[in-house]
Amino acid sequence: MKKCRELVAERAFLLSALASSSITVAILAFMVFMGLPLMRQGGLYQLLLKPWAPYQGSFGIYPMIMGTGAISLLSLLFAFPLSLGCSFLIGSIAPKPAGRGFRRLIELMTGIPTVIYGFVGIFLLVPIVRELFQRGSGLCILTAALVLGIMITPTMTLFFCDSFDRIPRTYLDAADALGASPVQKLLYVILPAAKNGMLNGVILSLGRAVGDTLIALMLAGNAVRVAESVLEPARTLTAHIALVIAADYESPEFRSIFACGVVLYLFTMAVTFLVRYLSFTKDTTV
Amino acid sequence: MIETHSVTAPNPIVQVRDLDFYYGSAQALHGLNLDFPRNMVTALIGPSGCGKSTFLRCLNRMNDLVDGARVVGSICLDGTEVNTADTDIIELRRRVGMVFQKSNPFPKSIYENAIYGLRIAGIKERAVLDETVEKSLKGAALWDEVKDRLHQSALGLSGGQMQRLCIARAISVNPEVILMDEPCSALDPKSTARIEGLIGELREEYTIIIVTHNMQQAARVSDYTAFLYEGVLVEFGLTKDLFVKPKSKQTEDYITGRFG
Repeated sequence: MKKCRELVAERAFLLSALASSSITVAILAFMVFMGLPLMRQGGLYQLLLKPWAPYQGSFGIYPMIMGTGAISLLSLLFAFPLSLGCSFLIGSIAPKPAGRGFRRLIELMTGIPTVIYGFVGIFLLVPIVRELFQRGSGLCILTAALVLGIMITPTMTLFFCDSFDRIPRTYLDAADALGASPVQKLLYVILPAAKNGMLNGVILSLGRAVGDTLIALMLAGNAVRVAESVLEPARTLTAHIALVIAADYESPEFRSIFACGVVLYLFTMAVTFLVRYLSFTKDTTV
Repeated sequence: MIETHSVTAPNPIVQVRDLDFYYGSAQALHGLNLDFPRNMVTALIGPSGCGKSTFLRCLNRMNDLVDGARVVGSICLDGTEVNTADTDIIELRRRVGMVFQKSNPFPKSIYENAIYGLRIAGIKERAVLDETVEKSLKGAALWDEVKDRLHQSALGLSGGQMQRLCIARAISVNPEVILMDEPCSALDPKSTARIEGLIGELREEYTIIIVTHNMQQAARVSDYTAFLYEGVLVEFGLTKDLFVKPKSKQTEDYITGRFG
C-alpha cells in the first residue's frame, strides 16, 4: 500500500516537472513556427535589421530591438546607484530597526503592479520632462527609462542586500578593527566581496526591465523608428507585441511579433544561463 | 560574594574604572577596575562566558556594533577617556589593533592584506607601502616564508601563517595596544608555539592584551594575568604570583582545574 502511494507521488512529481519543462520548449517552438513564414520570406537578417514599414512590405523589428536596448540599459543606469544607496542604507548606515523597516517597504514595492508606476509616470513625470526639455510630448525614452529604473530598483536593492548579508562577518570585523569608516568598508570590503551577487542582481533586473511591457507602452511614445536622442519616443519589443497583437491573424505584421517573442525569449534564456554561470563560479578575487 | 584582589600595575597604558557592560537588560561585566601595564603582555583568563572577550572588545569599542550593548564606566587610553560618545572610534581602532580567534585575512593577496590598514588611511606612495609590508611581515615573523609570493592569495597560506598575516595587518598601522582574542585556539601546537614566541617579541614595541582559554598559554606568554569569573574581576596580578600563589580561592580552583 505504502509502496503504491510512493509510486503515485513519484509519478505525479515527474509528470509536473516534465509538463513545465516541456511547456518552456514548446513555447519557443511555437513562436519559431509562427514566425517562420516571415523569416523565410526575407530571411532573419531582414527581420532583425530592417525598419518597420508595413506599407512598404518591410516588417523589420530593428527599431524595437534598439528601443528595448536603450530604455532598459538607461533604466539600469538610473537604478544601479539608487539600489546601491538603498541597500547600503539598509545594511550598514541605518540603525538596525530602521533598516529592517526600510527593507519591508522595499519588499512591498516589488509587489506594486507596473501599471501603477505607469500612471504615476504619466501624471507626474511626463509634464516635468516636457517642461524641462521643451521638446516633444514628454513621452520619450528618458521618461520610460526613469520610471522603469524606479520599478526595478526594489528588485535590485533586495539582491544587493542579500549579497551584502552573505559577506562573512569576519571580513567586516577585520575592517572595523583596522579603523575603517562605513564608506571605506563599503568600498574596500563589501563591494569587492559582494560583486558576484550584485552582478546577478543587475542581470536579473535587466531581465525585468527588458521584459516589462506596460511602462514602455505608456511612457515611451511608441514611435517605430530608431530614436536619435533620449528625448525622442521609441517602441520596445514588448510594447510592439502588445500593439500589433490586434492585427489580422494571417498578416505579416502579426507574424512579426513572433520574431519579437523569439528575440525576447533568447535574451531571457541568455540572462538565466549567465546568472547560473556566475552563481556557480566561486569568488576567487586576488 | 566574590572577593576581589587586584594590584595597580606600573606605568599603565590602559586604565579601566568601574566598567559595566549590558546586553539589553542582562549585565555581563560588573564594575571592573584594572590597569594594563605598557609594553607588557596581560592575559585575560576565566571560564567560558565569564565576559573576557566582551571585556576585550570594550577596549576598542567593537561592542558598539552589537545591538543592545551598553558600556558604562571609564576606559582611558594613555590618559584620554575613550568610552564617550564623541570619541573618534576610527582613530581609537588605529591605536588599538585587534587579532581575532579565527584568522580572517581578506580574499586578496598577501601584500594587499598587509597594507590594508594603510589603504584605509589613504596612503598611496608605493615606497611607503612596500616598506610597511616588509616591516610588518618581518614583525609578524612571516616575511621569510612569503617574501617570494607576496602577490599570491592570502587564502593559500596555512592556518598559522594566516593568523600571523592578521597580526602583520594589525601592526602595520603602528598601534599602541594589540588585542588578541584567543589567537591560537584554531591552530596546531607548532603554529601556536610560533605565535607565542611572536607575542614575546611584540611586547618590545606594543602592549598586548590576550584572551586565552589555555592556562598554560597564559602562564607562558604573559607578564600579568587577570582572572574573570561571571563578569567580575576576581584577581589581577603578576602572572608568576597569580599562578604560584593565588590570593583568591576561586582563582586557585580555576587554575588547578577544579572547574571551568
